[in-house]
Amino acid sequence: MNSSGDRPVVDVAFQSSAAVSVAEKVDRAKVLQKLRLGDTIFRHVTRLAAITVLVILSGIIGSLIYGSIPALEKFGFNFLITESWNPVTEQFGAMSPIYGTIMTSLIAMLIAVPVGLFIALFLTELCPMWLRRPIGIAIELLAGIPSIIYGIWGLFVFAPFLQQHVQPFLISAFGDIPVLSTLFAGPPYGIGVLTAGLILAIMVLPFITSISRDVFEAVPPVLKEAAYGLGCTTWEVARYVVLPFTRVGVIGGVMLALGRALGETMAVTFVIGNAHRISGSIMAPGTTISATIANEFTEAVGDIYTSSLITLGLILFVITFIVLAFARLMLMRLNGRLGQ
Amino acid sequence: MSTVNFTIPVVTHAASSASDLSEKVTVKNLDFYYGDHRALKNINVSLYHGKVTAFIGPSGCGKSTLLRVLNRMYDLYPNQRATGTVRLDNDDILEPSQDLNLLRAKVGMVFQKPTPFPMTIYENIAFGIRLYENLPKPELDNRVQQALQRAALWNEVKDKLDANGLSLSGGQQQRLCIARTVAVRPEVILFDEPCSALDPISTAKIEELIDELKEDYTIAIVTHNMQQAARVSDFTAFMYLGELVEYGDTTRMFTTPSDRRTQDYITGRFG
Amino acid sequence: MDGWVSNMANMISGASSPLYHSRRRKNVITMLLAYFATGFGLIWLGLILGVLFYQGFSGLSLRVFTEMTPPPGASGGLLNPIMGSLVMTFLAVLIGTPLGILAGTYLAEYGRFEKLSTIVRFINDILLSAPSIVIGLFVYEIMVATMGHFSGWAGAVALSVIVIPVVVRTTEDMLTLVPDTLREAAASIGLPRSLMIRKVAYRAARAGMITGVLLAIARISGETAPLLFTALNNQFWSSNMNAPVASLPVVIFQFALSPYKDWQELAWTGALIITLAVLTLSIVARFLGAQSKKS
Repeated sequence: MNSSGDRPVVDVAFQSSAAVSVAEKVDRAKVLQKLRLGDTIFRHVTRLAAITVLVILSGIIGSLIYGSIPALEKFGFNFLITESWNPVTEQFGAMSPIYGTIMTSLIAMLIAVPVGLFIALFLTELCPMWLRRPIGIAIELLAGIPSIIYGIWGLFVFAPFLQQHVQPFLISAFGDIPVLSTLFAGPPYGIGVLTAGLILAIMVLPFITSISRDVFEAVPPVLKEAAYGLGCTTWEVARYVVLPFTRVGVIGGVMLALGRALGETMAVTFVIGNAHRISGSIMAPGTTISATIANEFTEAVGDIYTSSLITLGLILFVITFIVLAFARLMLMRLNGRLGQ
Repeated sequence: MSTVNFTIPVVTHAASSASDLSEKVTVKNLDFYYGDHRALKNINVSLYHGKVTAFIGPSGCGKSTLLRVLNRMYDLYPNQRATGTVRLDNDDILEPSQDLNLLRAKVGMVFQKPTPFPMTIYENIAFGIRLYENLPKPELDNRVQQALQRAALWNEVKDKLDANGLSLSGGQQQRLCIARTVAVRPEVILFDEPCSALDPISTAKIEELIDELKEDYTIAIVTHNMQQAARVSDFTAFMYLGELVEYGDTTRMFTTPSDRRTQDYITGRFG
Repeated sequence: MDGWVSNMANMISGASSPLYHSRRRKNVITMLLAYFATGFGLIWLGLILGVLFYQGFSGLSLRVFTEMTPPPGASGGLLNPIMGSLVMTFLAVLIGTPLGILAGTYLAEYGRFEKLSTIVRFINDILLSAPSIVIGLFVYEIMVATMGHFSGWAGAVALSVIVIPVVVRTTEDMLTLVPDTLREAAASIGLPRSLMIRKVAYRAARAGMITGVLLAIARISGETAPLLFTALNNQFWSSNMNAPVASLPVVIFQFALSPYKDWQELAWTGALIITLAVLTLSIVARFLGAQSKKS
């Protein structure tokens, strides 16, 4: 209003012709003042919640390190390379659980990666449209089944089946071949590293399938059409166009599944046998990091025993963190490229 | 005071000679950057009260960018900044201290695609009013009705105010958005290609509406449809590659443009 | 002679040259492998669900829902673990959902372009697939060890640590789907950001956000590892969340590994109940999710 000095009449007229009166404007400022306070508070609350995620991660790492101190002080680096696990003499080493964790995950990935990729190929290239959704849902339901169900099923159904039908066959079939004869040396226990690896394979299969399917579907149709236009077969399109284009995404998905396999607890605990030794045969009982913790933590007596188990947890967390971080970086790279 | 004030504008509108024009928004030496890219180059332009100013030009010429400076919509995104001055009455709206919510309540905007909020038709309108005023229910109903009438939508929706805003047709949704904008009682209304997603009949309705609304507001419209600019606007600004090439009375711009580029664009030689 | 000529002709035309034949054979083999792999993948779902229904249904009776877990050799039900699971799941959702939604809101709205968001997003994605047994150890350290006893509260907190990343992720994804024009429209009538988010963006993303919470519930209702050394187990129903509380997964674990036939049967029944609950939740979630994408 004070600016209207030079052209008083016109200016007053035009300012007020707007639908808001001056008194109302003051009110608005007041209302907005209040709203703005609310806005600031809300922004800070959400920010705090976001930071909580970081706090949780640091909390996990911090508490695991804190809990590991007694064991690490006593055993030092040797903890990693010692095989013995003796609660009576309080001598602990992580070697056999680490071996079991890696071995079971390796078996799982060897089976689940090719099978998962082929299913994804089927879903994106071969499957008739009307069947895609039901199969996709079925595969995702497989991913939704809680791991304890896999465990109980593995213990009561799968392990006895392996023991009676598959393992005797493997033992006799590979009995005369060097290397393989040790790998598949009897007796058939049913439970053991191989069984755990197979169950893990079934568990991570849906993860690999659904991520691969998603990245396969993200391939620009023109690219595929161009290859089909050259007369390529479906397999050639998949092998030379789709797979190279989505490689980082597929690797990301595989690493994500590996992260799951490494950390999976219940399904493995039921069928691994919980034996702290490294056996040449993958049919022998063994243990993994998570199975050891699940089986022994509540019964552990004494600080060193408990602390050794927490150290195992720390090792597991570090390994899976690295694998998962790598997986995420890969998937981010793919998204970055698709975004361009 | 108010009785006197409401009578004068009518008189002023009747006399439409250039000397009576009142500048509502004044843009001076405006530059705009997306990161390092300079999207607007030294823009100088004024919007007048009671008039419609159209911004035309080929895509990417910066006309929408300019519109988004006028209510500082660009502030929602990072790495975008404007330099120069943009005065609304006597406030420089580019000042960092400018209250953005207050500014946007004064400078309303209607978008390319209809943007009804995910709530009922009634709520879409009442929502904005309730922000600033605590009205008793009958008065609020009244204000909602006024806004819908102002947007020429009342007769079509008065029996289904509780229906979801998204259930309306495209043209109706756009008028709902205009009603929503009007309900907050802005002083300036920015239209960003408001008809580009609409059929010809809905377009005609919106254009009619703009013509009615200009009595009370300062209006700016971005359009890539030159006939539309010629139909609805009093002033036209032609923009090209981030520059304001020519600006003036619409009739003159479309009959005797002074710049070669304007002439080429209007006659359809490029764009 | 005739065959040779026709072969030659085919080679020139290229339609059935040896190279083409081998390419086609390779294609047929790999395509068969794809069919086989899909069948292989689906068989497990059938086998697992089949056995589960077969074993679980026989034990399913009203008693399962009305009686406490029995000592070995006696008969009983699963009332206390079912109640324990429900209460702890409820509390975990109560703790985790608001936190997750707020954090997801920051990532999608206020902090969308901030560096902090990139870091939080990355860490959240890792927590999403972090081994749940480690989360159990973490809560053991911060709650059980400091308070000196196992408790239902610790179990609920452990589960909420699993809920948070799921909800953060879906909230962010769903809010990102809300078109920017809607945000601009809200801003254009002078709405402050917080109101825009709460009244406009949340409404537009509601179905998707509910889907996220349902998926989180599905995820934690089968979780066993984080409860093993937080809530522990309890043979009776206790309303005291400060004491050990039984949960369905932990009871299944204990009963299945026991040598007693009755306990093993109850474990199967419990497994069936959990699976049905989880599958129902994920189907409802999927349905809602599909709906939210449509609108």
